[in-house]
Formats: sequence, C-alpha cells, structure tokens
Amino acid sequence: MEQHLQDLYEVLSKVDGYVYPNEIELNWSILIVLYPYITGLVAGAFILASLERIFKIRILKPTYGIALLTAFSFMLVATMPLVSHLGKPLRAYEIMITPHSSSAMAIFGFVYLWYLMVVLFLEIWFDYRRDMVIWAGETTGFKRFMYRLLSLWTTDISPKSVALDNRIGYIVTVIGVPSAFLLHGYVGFIFGSIKANPWWSTVLMPVIFLFSAMVSGIALVMGIYIILSKIRRQVIDMNCLDTIARYLFYILIIDFTLEGLDQIHRIYVAEESFEALHKLVFGQLFFTLFIVQGFFGTILPLLTLGTFQFYKPRAEIRKVIYLVLSVLILIGIFFMRWNVVIGGQLFSKSFYGYTSYKVGMIGAEGYLMAAIWLIVPFLILSFLLWLLPPWKKIETDHGNLEE
Amino acid sequence: MPQHIKRLIIAFSLFLALFLVLRQVLRPESFGELGHFRAKAIPENAMRPMHYTVTDSCTKCHGGIRSEKDKGFHKNLKCEVCHGPGLKHATYAGQFKNGALPDSLKLYKPGERKDCIICHQLNAARIKIQFDTINTTMIHQIDPVKHNPGDPDTKEAFKCIDCHSPHQP
Amino acid sequence: MKKEKTKLSRRDFFSAGTALAGGVAITSVLAGYDGLLFAAVTPNAKGIWYGIGIDINKCIGCGKCANACKLENNVPQAPFYFRSWVEQYTIKNDGSIVVESPNGGIDGFKQSVPDKDIFKSFFVPKMCNHCAKSPCTQVCPVGATFETEEGIVLVDEKYCIGCRYCVQACPYGCRYIHPDKGTVDKCTLCFHRLKKGLKPACFEICPTKARIFGDLNDPGSEINYFLKNHNCMVIKPNLNTGSKLFYNALNPEVR
Ligand code: HEC
Ligand code: HEC
Ligand code: HEC
Ligand code: HEC
Repeated sequence: MEQHLQDLYEVLSKVDGYVYPNEIELNWSILIVLYPYITGLVAGAFILASLERIFKIRILKPTYGIALLTAFSFMLVATMPLVSHLGKPLRAYEIMITPHSSSAMAIFGFVYLWYLMVVLFLEIWFDYRRDMVIWAGETTGFKRFMYRLLSLWTTDISPKSVALDNRIGYIVTVIGVPSAFLLHGYVGFIFGSIKANPWWSTVLMPVIFLFSAMVSGIALVMGIYIILSKIRRQVIDMNCLDTIARYLFYILIIDFTLEGLDQIHRIYVAEESFEALHKLVFGQLFFTLFIVQGFFGTILPLLTLGTFQFYKPRAEIRKVIYLVLSVLILIGIFFMRWNVVIGGQLFSKSFYGYTSYKVGMIGAEGYLMAAIWLIVPFLILSFLLWLLPPWKKIETDHGNLEE
Repeated sequence: MPQHIKRLIIAFSLFLALFLVLRQVLRPESFGELGHFRAKAIPENAMRPMHYTVTDSCTKCHGGIRSEKDKGFHKNLKCEVCHGPGLKHATYAGQFKNGALPDSLKLYKPGERKDCIICHQLNAARIKIQFDTINTTMIHQIDPVKHNPGDPDTKEAFKCIDCHSPHQP
Repeated sequence: MKKEKTKLSRRDFFSAGTALAGGVAITSVLAGYDGLLFAAVTPNAKGIWYGIGIDINKCIGCGKCANACKLENNVPQAPFYFRSWVEQYTIKNDGSIVVESPNGGIDGFKQSVPDKDIFKSFFVPKMCNHCAKSPCTQVCPVGATFETEEGIVLVDEKYCIGCRYCVQACPYGCRYIHPDKGTVDKCTLCFHRLKKGLKPACFEICPTKARIFGDLNDPGSEINYFLKNHNCMVIKPNLNTGSKLFYNALNPEVR
C-alpha cells in the first residue's frame, strides 16, 4: 500500500504534460500483457495442429502432438494472469454466474471454457484414449491411475471404437479452428471495442491479434520441437521444420501487412488523437515498437525466412537459425502485446500528456509474478509430455480415416 | 452408443449440472430485478454516511453570523466552504456549553492567509467579464505579495482577518 | 425539419423500449447523440432524469468542490484518486496549450504562465458525466456498475471484481480503483445526499453557483433554465456517450 503510493508519487514526478489525475496509475499492468500473449500462443499452436489434421498436411505430423499439448498447457494458465490481477480475485466466479451480455470481457469465461473443454480437451482425449487404455495395462502406480482416470475407466479399444474416436476427433478439430479464431479475435475485440482509447479502437484489432497469435503459436511450437528433439537426441525432421517455417513466413507477411495497414491508416486519416499517438510512438514506445517488435520481431525474421525460400543453408545452420528466429518472434510478439496494452495507457485520454510505467520486481504485478505465469505452462507441458508422450503413441494416420 | 462415449457424456453432464447448481446458489438475491445488477446496490449506495450538511442547519445556533454574512460580500458562500464538513458538529455541538466543545467536534477556523488566497489570489483564469461599461468579475482578486503582507515597521505578517471580517469582508 | 423527425422517431423508440423493459430506462446505444436534443427529449420521460450543468465563466478555480467531494465520500487523499477535480487550461499566444491540475485543484492554483503570454485561460471542473449510454456500464463483465432510473451511474462495491475494464472504457478518466477496497470507485452524484433531498456536496459548496443540477424532465428546473439560456456543449460529443454533463462556454480544446 505505502509502496504503491510511493511508486505513484514517483510516476507523478515523471508525468509529461497533463494526464487526468486518475490516469497517473496505469491500470492494466504486465499481467494483462501476458493474457493476450498466452491466449495467442494457445490459438496459434492449435491452428498449427489443425493444419495437420484438417488440411491433411502430413509433413507436419511430428509436431501435431506437441502442438496440441502445448496449446492445452498454455490454455490451463491463460486465465491466471487475469484473475491474479483482479482487485477482488475471489469474486472472479461472478463472471460466469452473471455475465453481462454487452461486455466483451464477460463472454470470455464461456469462450474459454468452450475452447478448453470442448475443443482442446476433447481433441486430446479422443486422440489419446486408445493409447491411454493400452498404457494403463503396461504401467503401475500413479501413472496407471492417471491413465485410468483420464480414460474414464474405459477399456474398449476395438478398431470400430478407435475409428469412431478418430471421426469425432476430426469433427472437434473442424469446430476447433473457428473456435481458435473466435478465442483470439475475441481477445482483440476486448481492446478494439474501447472507443475511448484511439490506440486500441480499430476494427483491425481482432484480425491483427489473430494473425500475431498464429505467428507466436507457430514459432513456439517450432522452438519446442527443436529443443525437444535435442533433449531426446532425436533427428529433427527437416522437411517438417521447413514447412512450418514456410507457414510462419506466410502468416508473418499477413501480420506485418495488417499492422502496417493499421499504422498507415492512422497516419493518413490523422484524427484528433494523431499528434498524441505520434509522440507516443516516437517517444516511450520507440524501443519496444520499432526496435524490438518491428525490427527483431518482424523484419529480421521476415527477411531470413524469405531468403530461405530461395536459398537454403545446411540443415545444421538452418536448425540454429530457426531456433533463434522462433525466440526472436516470441519476444517480438510479447512486445507487440506490450505496445498495445501498456502503450494504450501511457497517453492521456485528454491527449495532452503521458504517464509512465515501471514494472516492479516483486509484488502481485511485478516481473516475478509474470515470469511465474510464463514458466508454469512449461512445467505443465513437461508433465503432459511425460504422461502422454506423443512419440510413444501408436501411429494413427489421420489422413486415411476421415474419408 | 459405445461405452466410452456414454461415460464422456455423463462426465460432461455432471460438470454442466454442477455449473448450473453453482450458478443458482451463487447468484445474488436481488440480481436482475431492475436490470443486470443487484437491485439492493441502490439502497446500499443511498445509505452511505454523510459528512456535509447544509448552511441552513448552522443558522439554528449561529444565526448571528449567518445574518452578518448575508449582508456582506460573502453572502453566497456556504459556511462549510470555509469551515469544512459540519454534519457531526451541527448534530452534536448543541450538547456542550460555551467553551466546552471537544476537539473532535471543533471545526476548522480558516484564519491563515492561504485560506483566503485559495479563492482570492490573482489568476488570469478567474475570468473578468467586460460588458459595455460594466467591468466586473466573479471574484475580486489581490496579489498576496503586494496586498498588505505585513506591518512595514515590525515585519510582522498580517492575516487577512486582521482587517477583513471573514463573515462580512 | 430533419431534427423534428429524429425527435419523433426517437420518442417512439423510447416509449416502445421502456414498455419492453418494464419501466426501466433504457437508451439505445445505436441512436445518434446531440447533447441538447438529448436533454430536451429524455430517454426516461417519467420520473426524474438528472442532468448537470457547469458554467465555466463562473468557476473561480477554488477547488473546494474537489475537496468537498473527497471529504464527503471518503476518497483517498493521495493525488491519484479523484471523483471530481478542476483543471486550468491556458491557451498561450505561441499556440501551445498548458493544462494543469495540481492535486486536482484542492490546494488552489498558481498561475504558471505570465500574463503577457496568455491568450486565454479558464478553469474546467471535471466529474462523472453520468452518461446515458455510458461506455463503462456497457463493458462491466458482471453487472457491478449500472444506471439507475434517474440516470445516475452507480457502482456496486460488494459485487465489483476490480477488473478495471470500466476504467479503461471511461473517456473522461472519472473512475479509479480504490486502493484499500480493490474495487472501482466513481462519482455517485452523492446519491446518498440526493435521496435525503440534499444537493451533492460539490454543488452545495460551490461559492459562485457555477454548478447546477436538476431534473431534465421538469420544465421549470434550474438545469432546464440553464440549458435554454446558455450555449452548452458536452465533452467529446463524437464518442456518443450520451453525456449529461453540460458546460456553458466550453472551448473545444477541453478534452
Ligand atoms: C446545535 C447548535 C449548533 C449548530 C447547528 C452548529 N453549531 Fe457551531 N457551534 C456550536 C457550539 C455550542 C459551539 C461552541 C461555541 C464555543 O465553544 O464558544 C460552536 C462553535 C463553532 C465554531 C467555532 C469552533 C471553535 O473552534 O471555536 C465554528 C467555526 C462553528 N461552530 C461552525 C458551525 C458551522 C459551519 C455550522 C453549520 C454546519 C455549525 N457551526 C452548526 C453549536 C452549533
Ligand atoms: C470566508 C470563509 C468563511 C465563511 C463563508 C464562514 N466563516 Fe465562520 N469563520 C471564518 C474564519 C476565518 C473564522 C475565524 C475567525 C477568527 O479566528 O477570529 C471564522 C470563525 C467562525 C466562528 C467562531 C467565531 C469565534 O468568534 O470564534 C463561528 C461560530 C463561525 N465562523 C460560524 C460560521 C457560520 C455559521 C458560517 C455560515 C453562515 C460561517 N462561519 C461562514 C471564515 C468563514
Ligand atoms: C470559497 C472562496 C472564498 C474564500 C475562501 C474567501 N472568499 Fe472572499 N469572496 C469570495 C467571493 C465569491 C466573493 C464575492 C465576489 C466578489 O465580490 O469578489 C468574495 C468577496 C470578498 C471580499 C469583497 C471584495 C469586494 O468586492 O470588494 C473581500 C474583502 C473578501 N472576499 C475577503 C476574504 C477574506 C479575508 C477571506 C479569508 C478569510 C476570504 N475572502 C475567503 C470567495 C471567497
Ligand atoms: C492591513 C489590512 C489588510 C490586510 C491584512 C488585508 N487586506 Fe484586503 N483590503 C484592505 C483594504 C483597506 C481594502 C480596500 C482598499 C483596496 O481596494 O485596496 C482591501 C481590499 C481587499 C479586496 C478587494 C479588492 C478589490 O479589488 O476590490 C480583497 C479581495 C481583499 N482585500 C482580500 C484580502 C485577502 C485575501 C487578504 C489576506 C491575504 C487581505 N485582503 C489582507 C486591507 C487589508
């Protein structure tokens, strides 16, 4: 409390121009940056998985399971930054009990549950059920109990039931793709619908969020795949990796175009808020927007991936470059969220001045808390990979069964 | 229907039922009666404690000051503008004899220069209205540095109320 | 001619809407918004419908309203939490604008620009606009903030989850998170005083009667007189918030 006030006095001394007194305190902090970031990773990873399944791009097979489990483990924590940021976290359930139909945020609970339970959970369940039944017979102790529990004590693994699982899994994926679009386009809408804030309120916001989500999700799965193969001392399927990189390249182009379009539009129409935003972009946001997000997160990967379409260096080098690029893109997209969420609060809605934001180390809204919510999904993922290793599954060729 | 699908449906139904029950249990009592909010919040908002009262309630005991004030330039000023929130004082002060008022019930007596300056200081934004020959303003302003800052001989600082009666300036 | 038409259709719409909602005042978010027309034909024709008027020419910037608001409503004293505050705008001869509000104006203002550089300077008291199509109630995910039948936007402290979405949605910066309670807090137009037949603290205290409020449905009310006799504007009319805080002599620089 005291510390909080002290910080605010420090911010007050740094205010540039005039901001409404209530705006000195930045209300949505780093945790709210994480929230669209994590949901974006989920949506992106899922869309990569469904490329394999729906569009039958079999070359992506090695990443299918990883992508699904990644999406699931990030989805489990997606709401945590949001909830821990609430002023009254214990009242979070109200959003499910009495959702306000006109609020963009209220529906999030349902979109989230739908996506977590109906899409991700069901898809993984149908995908793994046969294996879980088999593994339950081979293991003992905790693992055996988990398999039993997760497979709901079923035992039927006749080809007929497995075929049914596959068919339902396919349907779930088909439903899942629009759901993933919905989930993340919807997160964009939470920001895009705030008419009071010219930095946020653009119709392009949901679309931009969607494509940047895909970019980040695909980059994440690519990175995890490379690292996982290293850890397991497995040969990386370079064909698969190159294909992912190609998709990454295409989507990155779309993302870049959309964001460029948004900025060009702003510059051209030059509304009332333009001057204030201009100063913001070249002032406090310069580093995160142009250097980190723009150059390292977008242009550099674009150029590299573009070059790879014509000229491919040796596999060893490519691997390393892909890994570096995926990290760069992940950082870039994180700062894209940062620029939207934090940037949108740095300028006053009176357009006469700027406040500033300093992340603390500790406390409910500091670095550490944010880092925890970024590390937890990886722990969950490790657990899931241990429990449900995709590489130990019996090969099912999704491509053949759907017909 | 295959066994595992049946179990899955049961599991989901249980989940849904639990949700519906919780929803029923946790939904606040008066929610939705007048719109999408707790209707009880309206009386709750109406029951917050007051701190300010109205000027007329001071007149009962300080009628003299009131009539004095109403004759002067400060006639539009409410007592509480200068003396601060007075509901507690107005409610309980009657129980005490002159001079016996406990500190907790005493009101602020704005006798310092800064208390008058807050309104009377020269400022370009304190608008002056020029209308034909009439040249007036919402408030007469002084420059606190120049307007009788202190005794020229003893250098002792003057308070505004040394010369102006606050209630009838 | 054109205005006449909108007026009629809007009234029809509202009566139908009111009937539907069972007497609860609802306002179409979709309808257009002209400040004065909005005041003249109120969405809730029955009962009271509050409007607020502030005369910038009369404001002397004493900050007593901001002070009274804090004391009346137990707003934290730190200068980051305000339900009501005063700004000083100074338009300079060199074309720049200086806006300042030291501690919300509670400690008074010191003229920071020398007289010779000033083109014009004035005070603007700010408070919740009690919008009829308020963006803040629109976004509240749980229904912890709402408009009453009288057109006052209130907060349900016992139900607010503190998500701060409404703080982001308010174009006027009139909401803050109460540091002790963790819930959002805003001007209630001193609802507790209104219900006892008293004026809100800031209106009661104003030494120059620069602040006026009243029932827009009552043709003889102070606010109707004020609106008819002054050229009034609302802040940020382009956002279609249905603002009910009307300023006399508002300059377009004020945002
Ligand atoms: C019930 C009667 C009553 C009412 C109503 C009342 N007062 Fe008083 N007030 C008193 C008494 C008694 C004293 C103590 C006089 C004394 O000690 O000499 C007093 C003293 C004061 C003092 C001087 C305190 C001091 O430190 O010496 C002020 C200022 C004052 N009142 C202001 C007000 C204002 C403003 C109001 C209206 C909000 C008000 N009073 C309403 C009874 C009342
Ligand atoms: C311009 C500001 C102002 C206003 C308005 C004002 N007062 Fe005062 N009042 C003062 C000041 C300053 C003093 C202290 C005088 C002193 O210390 O001698 C004072 C003193 C008093 C006292 C104590 C008198 C004493 O002899 O100790 C009372 C009682 C009082 N005021 C009542 C009222 C009432 C009732 C009203 C409303 C009708 C009112 N005041 C309005 C500024 C004000
Ligand atoms: C809340 C604001 C406020 C405070 C505080 C205040 N005044 Fe005033 N004063 C006014 C207003 C309003 C008028 C009436 C308008 C005018 O004529 O200037 C006025 C008028 C006056 C006048 C008459 C000016 C004239 O017309 O010749 C004097 C003298 C004066 N005040 C002195 C004081 C003194 C001394 C104090 C401190 C005890 C004080 N005022 C505190 C608001 C205030
Ligand atoms: C030494 C006595 C003295 C003191 C101390 C004093 N004044 Fe005055 N004041 C006067 C006299 C005499 C006048 C009338 C003559 C004039 O206009 O200068 C006056 C006039 C005023 C006026 C009216 C000015 C106008 O334009 O008509 C205001 C306002 C005023 N004083 C406020 C204050 C304030 C505020 C303080 C405290 C900071 C204060 N005075 C201190 C003696 C004093």
